[in-house]
Formats: sequence, C-alpha cells, structure tokens
Amino acid sequence: MRWFWIDRYTEFVSGSHAVAVKGVTLAEDHLHDHMAGYPIMPNSLVVEGMAQAGGLLVSERYDFGELVVLGKLAKAKFHSCVRNGETLTYRVRVDTIRSDGAAVSGTAHVGDRLHAEALLFFARLGDANEALQGQRLFHPRHLRHWLSLVGIFEVGVHQDGTPMKEKDYPLTECAADPA
Amino acid sequence: MASEDEIFEKVRDALVEALGVDDDEVTPEATLQGDLDAESIDFLDIVFRLEKSFDIKIERGELFPEDILTNVEYVEDGKVNDTGIAKLRERMPFADLSKFEAEPVVQNLGQQLTVKDMCNFVAYKLAA
Amino acid sequence: MRFWLLDRICSFEPDTELTAVKNVSLSEEYLADHFPDFPVLPGVFMLEAATQASAWLVRLSENFAHSIVVLHEARAVKYADFVTPGNTLKVQVKKQKSDERFVHFRFEGEVEGRVSVSGRLVLERYNLGDTNPEQADLDARMIAHQRSTAELLTRGIDIAAVL
Repeated sequence: MRWFWIDRYTEFVSGSHAVAVKGVTLAEDHLHDHMAGYPIMPNSLVVEGMAQAGGLLVSERYDFGELVVLGKLAKAKFHSCVRNGETLTYRVRVDTIRSDGAAVSGTAHVGDRLHAEALLFFARLGDANEALQGQRLFHPRHLRHWLSLVGIFEVGVHQDGTPMKEKDYPLTECAADPA
Repeated sequence: MASEDEIFEKVRDALVEALGVDDDEVTPEATLQGDLDAESIDFLDIVFRLEKSFDIKIERGELFPEDILTNVEYVEDGKVNDTGIAKLRERMPFADLSKFEAEPVVQNLGQQLTVKDMCNFVAYKLAA
Repeated sequence: MRFWLLDRICSFEPDTELTAVKNVSLSEEYLADHFPDFPVLPGVFMLEAATQASAWLVRLSENFAHSIVVLHEARAVKYADFVTPGNTLKVQVKKQKSDERFVHFRFEGEVEGRVSVSGRLVLERYNLGDTNPEQADLDARMIAHQRSTAELLTRGIDIAAVL
C-alpha cells in the first residue's frame, strides 16, 4: 500500500483553495478487506485524502519548507458509501492560517453526490519540536517528488492568477535524488 | 453587546464541540487543561470557533501568552519573575491571576485557566 | 497489505467496551511514504483502528446482525503523540449510546500509558438486504467471513464466558 490518497490536483490557488481527485479501484488491496464481499472506500482514508489535499495547500503558505501534520480532526461526517469505479473529488479551503497552525474545511463528492464534510486542524511542528526528537520530518526532495506526482505546478496559481513555479520554492538539496 | 449568559452559552458550545465533552462538564470554574483535557491543538480549534461565534479576531498569544512563558527575560528556574508577572497582568486583564501569582510555576498558568477566564476574555474583546 | 488495523482483541464487555492492540512494524509498506525518513503511524490509521475496534464490539455484542458496519462520523479526534515502529498502540473504545442504525463511541489510543489519540466516533450499521432482498445471501456470506476473522482476533479470549 502506498500512502498517496489523492491522485492529482485539478485546481490549486495559493492561500485559498484546491480541488483534487482520487479514483477508487479494485486494484487497491484494502478494498478486498473493507469490506470483504462488498468493497467500500474506508472513510478514514477519505479523511486522509482531504488531509493531503489540504495539508499541501497549507504547506505552500510556508513555502513548502515544512510539512504540516494533522493535529486534530475536529469533525467529519459521511453520507454514503464510496465504491470501486467511483471517483472522489476533494474540495479544500483554508479557513485560517497562523504561525502555529491552520484550519482547513473540506468536502468530498462523487459527481454531484456529497459524500463527506470535514474540518481539520494542522499543526506546524517546527525544527525544535520535541516530538521530532531532533530528526527532520521529511527531506525537500521527497516533498518535491510528491508535489510533482500530484501536478501542483501544472495547475497551481497564486491569488493574482500567475502560475506557481517550482523554482520559486526552496525544494532542492545537494544530495542526489533517491532511486 | 452580548450578555454574560449569552457569552457563557456560546463559549460552552464552542468547548463542547471542540473538546468532545458534555454540556454539564463545562462549568465556569472548570479548568480548560485540567478538567476539560484541552491541549495546544485544541486551543487552535477553540480560538477558531470563538472567532466565528463572536466575530472577533484573536491573535496568537492573546488568550494564552506562551511567548511570555517561554521568554528567558521573564522566567527563572521554571517560575515567572516579577517583570514577567507584570507582563502577564498587562496581557491578560481578563484573567484572575491571583492563584498563579502565589506560585508562578510556568506550567501552572495553563492548568489554572478556567472557562470563566475565557468568558471574561471574550467580553474584553467584544468591549474593545 | 491487509486492511486489518488490529492485531488482537484483548478483552471486551458486550455493549460496553473493548480493548485491542495494533503493533506498528517497519514491514508495513505505507510507512515508506509516511514519512521516508521518519516513519510514523498515520493519524487516520489510529482512527481506523478505533473504528475497527468499535465495529468488532458491535458485531460481537449483536451476534453479527449486520454485514455493513462503517464510520459515519468522527469528532474531536486529537493526535497527541507520534507512534513509531516497534511500538504497540492499545485502543480502548467505550460505547455511549445506540439506536437502530447508529452506535456512538468514545475512544482512546495509548502507547505504554501515554495517550496518542482520543476522540469520538459514530458507526452506521445495516444489511444490504434491507434495501435489496436479492443481496441477503451476500450479507450472509460477508457475515460468515467476519465471524472467522473475529475468531482469529479473539483467540486469547474465552468468548462463551464473556457473552
């Protein structure tokens, strides 16, 4: 199982909102256990989709220099079952960004059908955070790889409409890229 | 201008939603960290709800002055010194700091903040 | 990867509470992405572990009456600490109330006495046959599978004594 719960952004406006999609497919192992006999996209992974879509939106405000972690799922409500062959569309919006964290609201739709709504709080850890035990949460090259996979720089724009460019963010390192 | 009761009700609703506690657990004397188990990530949530509920803006450190509590100028040996206490009084005119001042151990401030202190904070912001 | 977020159900009291554990191991594939240099159990998997623990309590208490038991709502789910490989997350769920369709829980997850996650959740339960009688057989097959999974998870417990 890979930990990518959005497939691609279709819209990304810095500091404002984003739209991302995720296809649900029988090729995913977990559907064969959840539930065995009647595949249903687990709602915890729908939350993760919104968290990833929203987390990168928040992280961009810190220049992609930090990853934020989901500190609290304030609320999430689910209205249906999402099945294999359906595509989830996540719409996330920044409600508040402060120096210590951010609030993001999100919805998940399958076509016109509202499947879920959620309010998430992200915590910004910072280098000195005790929980990190002196380690880095991630290397910039891994984040750059992820951003590239989900097409952030293909659709991303600043609020004035100008395209977001990868070179404007400190995403490079001296070390060679991983295999 | 909202009445004391109206403020308390809205603050209580915000705390019930944010902390997942029951209505009757939120009494004016209940301490946010001690009785209601609020942690720093919860404060982000609570502030967000209060801002929406009362249409006010709450800056970082306004409700809970972590910058004063972590400043070496104001803290010695885990206790807030007199300059620090003066700063706290200035920053938190809405709070009853008498208990804290008797034994100003840094961790105690968070532990002692009550629902009533939060209501007073909202009233103070609304009046400003 | 199997989507079993619990390794063992340690104990339960029907309609009341259930305690289960999940070991976090470097062999779990998704840890390679979360995160490459800092593997930690994703927060939503702590929520999923609590959801599954709650679902098992429902199934064991109601004699597997429903084939579909899913997460309907989650509230105030707070992540206090990272859970790293080599550690065991102990999940405890307590039923608060229920009606025909929904069951409410409070839950907590801890590692060696330190709380990693806490919150509330609501499960929804039903049978496919409720809306489509043709699917009643499928319900029965799913339930049979769930019963055998439960046997694996509760191997250390004398179920007959508990129920």
